[in-house]
Amino acid sequence: MAIVEAQELVKRYPKPGSKSEHFFAVNGVSLQIEAGEVFGILGPNGAGKTTTLEMIEGLTDIDSGDAIVDRISVSKNPNKVKELIGVQLQANEYFDHLTLSDLLTLFSRLFKRDEDPNILLAKVDLEEKAAAKPAALSGGQKQRFSIASALVNDPKVLFLDEPTTGLDPQAKRNIWKLIEDLNSAGMTIVLTTHNMEEAEHLCSRIAIMDNGKVIAEGTPQKLIMEHAPEAPQARLHGNLEDVFLKLTGHALRE
Amino acid sequence: MNSTLTMGRTLLKIFSRDRQAIFFTLFFPITFMVIFGIASSGGEDPIEIGIVDNSTNAFSERFIDTLEADGLFNVTIGEEDDLRDMVVDGDLALTLIVPRGFDGREQAADLTMLVDAAQARQTAMLTPLVEQTLLNVERELRAIEPLFPLTVIDVQARSQRYIDFLVPGLLALTIMQISVAGSGYNIVEYRRKGILKRLFVTPIKPGHFIGGLVLSRLFITVIQVSFLLAVAVVLLGVPVEGNVIELLALIIIGSSIFLSLGFWMGSIAKTQQAIMLLGNLITLPQMFLSGVFFPIDSMPDLLQPVAKLLPLSFVVSGVREVIVNGASLIDQIPTVIGLFAWLAIGLTLAIRLFRWKEVAT
Repeated sequence: MAIVEAQELVKRYPKPGSKSEHFFAVNGVSLQIEAGEVFGILGPNGAGKTTTLEMIEGLTDIDSGDAIVDRISVSKNPNKVKELIGVQLQANEYFDHLTLSDLLTLFSRLFKRDEDPNILLAKVDLEEKAAAKPAALSGGQKQRFSIASALVNDPKVLFLDEPTTGLDPQAKRNIWKLIEDLNSAGMTIVLTTHNMEEAEHLCSRIAIMDNGKVIAEGTPQKLIMEHAPEAPQARLHGNLEDVFLKLTGHALRE
Repeated sequence: MNSTLTMGRTLLKIFSRDRQAIFFTLFFPITFMVIFGIASSGGEDPIEIGIVDNSTNAFSERFIDTLEADGLFNVTIGEEDDLRDMVVDGDLALTLIVPRGFDGREQAADLTMLVDAAQARQTAMLTPLVEQTLLNVERELRAIEPLFPLTVIDVQARSQRYIDFLVPGLLALTIMQISVAGSGYNIVEYRRKGILKRLFVTPIKPGHFIGGLVLSRLFITVIQVSFLLAVAVVLLGVPVEGNVIELLALIIIGSSIFLSLGFWMGSIAKTQQAIMLLGNLITLPQMFLSGVFFPIDSMPDLLQPVAKLLPLSFVVSGVREVIVNGASLIDQIPTVIGLFAWLAIGLTLAIRLFRWKEVAT
């Protein structure tokens, strides 16, 4: 049975300048995400990826349909669902004047838990930054901290909204490694991305969204065979990212 | 631990580390207190006057000594030309010219007063003062008892300086400013930065978050206002006549009113700029109309009824009555009713308009 199930999710907003007309940010999205997989949601900006995630996460009201996480209905019991999931948001700003350690303690207490911030920081390779403030972190470190803060409740499902957008290739690969490690330890992961290479590298299954609807779904292999079966031109050389990584090395920069 | 307390403690920690916020919320009222405290500590400044003594006899010297002893005047003796220039420059309010043959005998001696007529108001104020003083000096020199001695008794039976009037007003003003900033400005910032959304990823309920914010802000307000009051009492000798517990209750009610009005503003305003403008729109008129710096009774009659109904007016009046007049809350039922009416209005606006569900977006 699916650990996350979206059933005909709908989110509509009033059209600007008109009270009766609506625009559908999400228009009947259904998804089945199995325990233990890395599920990717792809789509152009404005396709409804983030809104879909936020409805499943209990952050945005569901206008119709429902989302079920581990047999619990989000619309009926959002706080119960929040206890089971970890959420990384696109925006990662935090209270001023609090250190990483303070913030993790805060989030953990709000889950009525008493996690050791240092253990969480060690999971994302940030134990040396325990006394730093988020503003002092590099882009990749911020994303890793953001993932650490999503792990405070030892979630069954981890939602990541564009975890590698804006990162340099080293930091991006470092996040991929982290996601793979978490997944191989048994965590189900749902992520959105604009990066096709990332989707192909990480995801066991993918849904492609456009205009608030899912327009294709399946394993990367299946989608490729269905929609782009022609063999690509033989690759005679690497691409520019290969050049970049060769010249600057694979070691993480911060 | 309860989420409300967790949130409250965290927000207190944030505030205690925000040295700039602590400095600026205290800087303004302390500066005001110190300036006005110094200004009103020495009583009235003596009026600078010049005297040209054309007689230089024992009688004219006695006359000058009597004037100097008055304390109302600070006397400079010199030549007419020099003193005339000083009046022109504004260094002296006036110069009296004592004529030749000023010996207090037989015929009246004509004194001349040099003034800057452009300072019409000052001249109009000073002339009767000088005449009165001359009359006193004359009585003293001639050893005449006044026919109608006048004794002035302060019905409040204590001397009130401007600083004693001002301090309670400043305390009330500070309560308003830090409360509105603490709820309204913070909410807008937290929403804009996505911090609220990040919090609501956890199972915290909006009520717990608001509760934590209110608790922490009340605590901060009580500490800061107490600190200001302590400065006023210790450094400026402002007496606290009333009950400290009642004062504390007033601080908490006042702060709750402005916290709830702040939440209301914070739910209307979408950006930092909007909340700044809205905050100024609500707080600035009250700063000047609510009797913080001068009594409402001294304002134009048309404004008074409106001014008296402003929320800050009730807080100013309550705090001032307790500190200055030692009144208890039972002595000022209308003020207490006004405070609770505003608290009800503030809470209603905050609860009706605060978007609980969309708080995170």
